[in-house]
Amino acid sequence: MDNIKTRGQKIIKAIIKQKAVVAVLVLLILMIFPDTNFYSSYNLINVFRSISVLEIIGFGVTLTIIAGGVDLSVGGMVSLSGILVIKLMDYMPMVYAILCGMLVGAIIGVINGFLTVHQKTEPFIITLGIGMLLKGVSLVLSNAHPISCANPVFVEISNGLLFNSVPYLVIYMLVLLAATHFVLRYTKFGRNCYAIGGDYNVAAYSGINVVSTKWMTFVISGVLAALAGILLASSMNTGSPNYGDSIPLLVCCGVVVGGVSFSGGVGGAFQSFFGLLVLQLLSNCMNMIGIGAYVQHAIQGIVIVAIIWMDCFADKRKREAV
Amino acid sequence: MNMGTKIKKILLEYLVLVFIVILVIVTAIAEPKFMTSANLNNILRQFGPLSFVALGMTFVIIGGYIDLSVVGIMSLVTVVTVSLIDVTGQVVALIAGIVMGAAMGLFNGLLLLAGGANTQAKALFITYGMSMLYGAAALIFTAGGTLHMSWLTTPQTVFAAIGSGNIGFISVSFVVFLVCLIVLHTFLSATHQGMAIRIAGGNKMAGELSGVPVNRSLVLIYMLSGLMAAIGAIVLFSRTTMANPAAGKGYELNAILAVVLGGTSLKGGYGNVLRTVLGVLLVTLMANCLDLLSVTTYYQTVFKGSILVMAIWLDNRNKQQGGE
Repeated sequence: MDNIKTRGQKIIKAIIKQKAVVAVLVLLILMIFPDTNFYSSYNLINVFRSISVLEIIGFGVTLTIIAGGVDLSVGGMVSLSGILVIKLMDYMPMVYAILCGMLVGAIIGVINGFLTVHQKTEPFIITLGIGMLLKGVSLVLSNAHPISCANPVFVEISNGLLFNSVPYLVIYMLVLLAATHFVLRYTKFGRNCYAIGGDYNVAAYSGINVVSTKWMTFVISGVLAALAGILLASSMNTGSPNYGDSIPLLVCCGVVVGGVSFSGGVGGAFQSFFGLLVLQLLSNCMNMIGIGAYVQHAIQGIVIVAIIWMDCFADKRKREAV
Repeated sequence: MNMGTKIKKILLEYLVLVFIVILVIVTAIAEPKFMTSANLNNILRQFGPLSFVALGMTFVIIGGYIDLSVVGIMSLVTVVTVSLIDVTGQVVALIAGIVMGAAMGLFNGLLLLAGGANTQAKALFITYGMSMLYGAAALIFTAGGTLHMSWLTTPQTVFAAIGSGNIGFISVSFVVFLVCLIVLHTFLSATHQGMAIRIAGGNKMAGELSGVPVNRSLVLIYMLSGLMAAIGAIVLFSRTTMANPAAGKGYELNAILAVVLGGTSLKGGYGNVLRTVLGVLLVTLMANCLDLLSVTTYYQTVFKGSILVMAIWLDNRNKQQGGE
């Protein structure tokens, strides 16, 4: 059956596989026509600046999804780590405070890993619960008010400019993108993640230490979410318990849009990058054209449903073909 | 099996009852106001909207799926029903609201069926997207504002009765709840379709191979969830007498919390609606008791989150031991 595939079918298949990249290109082409400031260097840097935090969270979540889990506690983690670091800076130097914040992320990752990998609970529902708990903790810590930071150096962590134009935040994101790509493609740990996501039992029988590898993905996801929270707090100069409210599901949707499959074992850092970029570009374009916030919500909902539905449908076709 | 393990098993099975009893005793001792009839009546009223949503959610979870779209459905039903009252009169508006909820649920179900969503995670994301869509529709409908029922010119006796009326000493909304409970319990435990839902939730493949209408069950559970969310929304705005386009916010997690606390398994195929009632009772009681003990809402979120995590964990341990 595969032999008689025409060139047209091949192209369609490639487009479906790289739908996020195609969507980015389509958006870029469409934005040539209306008369907006979309193609100013200011706006393009702004797109990258606003996507960076989601991307950094997305890399961690991608690891968990590839290994067959999912981490929805990242939203709570983002809120908590920002507030925690700003609070801790009153008592210790900034570097230690940031390290403490990331340590908390690691601890939450260990707990997530214990519950999902060791105790075998449903990952997405239990991490949703953990996220709720973390949001509660950040509400308690901040008394439900945004808290700002008095230290001018803290703001520079994200907002400082490289070559007077590119914010550091974007640089961190690009470095982490390269690092995630490297880890997934060229290390034993990365390849084991794919094997575990593909088939947990087969991976276990072939001698991979499945528990510790999958556990590790949750720890990394926790640390990256904590880091993203700190960077977000730094770029806003404020920590707020409401930062993380819509993050986890949005990040997961973006990652799946990029082509990372929820069945596990498929995906990569660049796929997630483009998937999240599509969502952000879409909202940037809609802002540029002047579409109202509520209609934007509706369009975002439709896009998420359409793309995840297509993912499901492709999966169904594959199942039926077997 | 000796006596000790037997007691332990029964305790684990009805852990939620143990929690409720402890909560009631502690609060009654610490705060005498708890046992007054005014407060008990208050609890029955708070019981309202969440209990309906949770009943619908029970079916979805027993069927092996999950439904986050109740948020959007509740918000949209609320604003549309309230603005219909002036146009069509209250009875038609009431019926239209309920039908609309069921229709949105039906659409979700058909969408999932057509996409071949076979796991809870896929259903989670698709219903999340649908919830965004419905919620945005509600916001567009009212341009972000809140509609007050006192602005309406037509009489709204039906909604006033649902919101604050009493039959004897029991509130009308509680009577509606009891009727729904009996109907849904009978449906789940005594009909072929109810059995089909449970089989499909337990093992879809086995169900399909043995001729159980798996696909019909999938559509039906989402329709029921939408229907019950609509009833919940109507009870909610009848009590508050205003239509907020974000009315449903937070109900999805609370409903899942109530269902899981009641002991319905997230893995599907196991549970019933009576357990959910216990779960809802615990969630409502917890909020009421913590309010009375003047614990802030922030700490309440922490409590809720930790209890949710603990309940899922214990449920999971329970099921694994049962399977051995």
